[in-house]
Amino acid sequence: MVLELLQSLSEMQLVGELTVLSLLIGGIIMAGGIIIAKIAKLLFHKYYAPSLPKDTAQNISKLIYFGILIISFLGFTSSQGIDLSGIMVAGGIFAVVIGFATQSVVSNLISGLFLIVEKPAKHGDTIDLPDMGISGTLLDIGTFSSKVRRFDGTVTRIPNDKFFTSNIRSLTLSTVRRADAVVGISYNSDIENAILVMKNEILQTMPFVLQIPEPEFRIEALGDSSVNIHVFVWYPKDDWSQAQPILLGTLKRALDNAAIEIPFPQRVIWSGKD
Amino acid sequence: MKTMSDTSEIIFSNYGIYDLGDNLELSLPNTLIKFQRISDNAFSYFRENSEGQIIEKIIPVKSNDVKIELAPIRPLNHPAKRTNYVFLKLDKEIHLGENSAASIFVHCPIEIGIFLIYGDNHEPLDWITCSPFNSRFSLYGSPDTGTLCKYAEVSLATDYNDSVSYVNGVMHIVIENTLSFAQTISKVIFPITDNNLYYKDSKSIVDGIKIIMKKRAAVNIAEIKPTLVDTEWTPAPAWDNSITSVHHMEMTLE
Repeated sequence: MVLELLQSLSEMQLVGELTVLSLLIGGIIMAGGIIIAKIAKLLFHKYYAPSLPKDTAQNISKLIYFGILIISFLGFTSSQGIDLSGIMVAGGIFAVVIGFATQSVVSNLISGLFLIVEKPAKHGDTIDLPDMGISGTLLDIGTFSSKVRRFDGTVTRIPNDKFFTSNIRSLTLSTVRRADAVVGISYNSDIENAILVMKNEILQTMPFVLQIPEPEFRIEALGDSSVNIHVFVWYPKDDWSQAQPILLGTLKRALDNAAIEIPFPQRVIWSGKD
Repeated sequence: MKTMSDTSEIIFSNYGIYDLGDNLELSLPNTLIKFQRISDNAFSYFRENSEGQIIEKIIPVKSNDVKIELAPIRPLNHPAKRTNYVFLKLDKEIHLGENSAASIFVHCPIEIGIFLIYGDNHEPLDWITCSPFNSRFSLYGSPDTGTLCKYAEVSLATDYNDSVSYVNGVMHIVIENTLSFAQTISKVIFPITDNNLYYKDSKSIVDGIKIIMKKRAAVNIAEIKPTLVDTEWTPAPAWDNSITSVHHMEMTLE
């Protein structure tokens, strides 16, 4: 019964030597290839990817997936008796036409490859793209586009050619980073004492601030109402939340505890009669 | 083997293995630790540290024969695990003449680990530091390529018994200057992951290091390697067995 069905399918010619049976076999090969590719990708992500760096795991995963798909496609074409050399020649001609028509797509594809090879940033890195006003965590460098999760939780898709040609500021490539804040003290205050109390408070209450290089204090300006001191502290690259957002509060607490005035803006007006 | 009744009369609990029993209370400087049986198969764990932080956990156990071990561990966890390196800033510089050597003991900071013991297995449960204000980071090198380290200003010790209980352990450092000119040593940076710790009562020892200052090609370097301590003190379990050995340190001489 089954043999008879297959026999009849092999006799049903569609185009040239292409029969329903060979098309069916080709479909099974492609479907099997897709299923195997997905399973291989899944198994890789489950058992091997966690022990590899994120970007390496992503690249190997893509290599496995698309490698199996290409092998399946070659199996499909050979099962149909398609001569690929003919396609190659035709492809050469069409490539020029398609290249002009899909210039941006090809540009994105090539840029994606260069991004993977050059690695200006890795998956999971915190980056800033000042040209585009985008800051966040790099989630993925895909075939045509990259994804960045901004600090507000939204995900932005950036075409690879724009990503590749823009300035990329990596916030996690260096071992340490620097936070800063400006604080003003009154002209009556002892500057040396103010710096000492701020430094002590930082070193005691901010455990992620580095001892070396130690916190730095620069007299930035003799302002209208205050002597402005610019404070710089260094911290491990992943601990921004333990430094920048709490630095100003720490400085104010130190000055308050030492009864050092942080003056309000004020102006002395002399009238003509005085 | 000590139980809570044994430790109730002393101020601070020594390092060692304790039977959990139904209740166990351990006291360390500015730190209180309590275990309490809440059912046949579970304990509650309470810890208040020197910074006022409280941690509470429920610990399901497989058998009644559960013990805990209090032991010194490498000083890498407070305020967060970020590096395997330590930066020891010597309070007094060591001056070494040409082709000479020195052998010194220094106070190396430690943290304290609390381990659950099931048979031969030690499971890390919690860690504390009794000196949080001296547990800070520093950078050795430039911001982009330098090495992040745990930082400590250390003083010289007289021998292995000279450690400050619960705060530091004594480390033996041998320094050899094979160069043809004198050198002054003010700091030592090395990965502490190959240095084991040992304890006795409330004192601790850290495996030593050997520093060889030598010339390699046109560069003067200090090669740093760990050295094992030959002691009868109890070896402390490792807090993180997953730490792989870090490449031995080489400092460029300034």
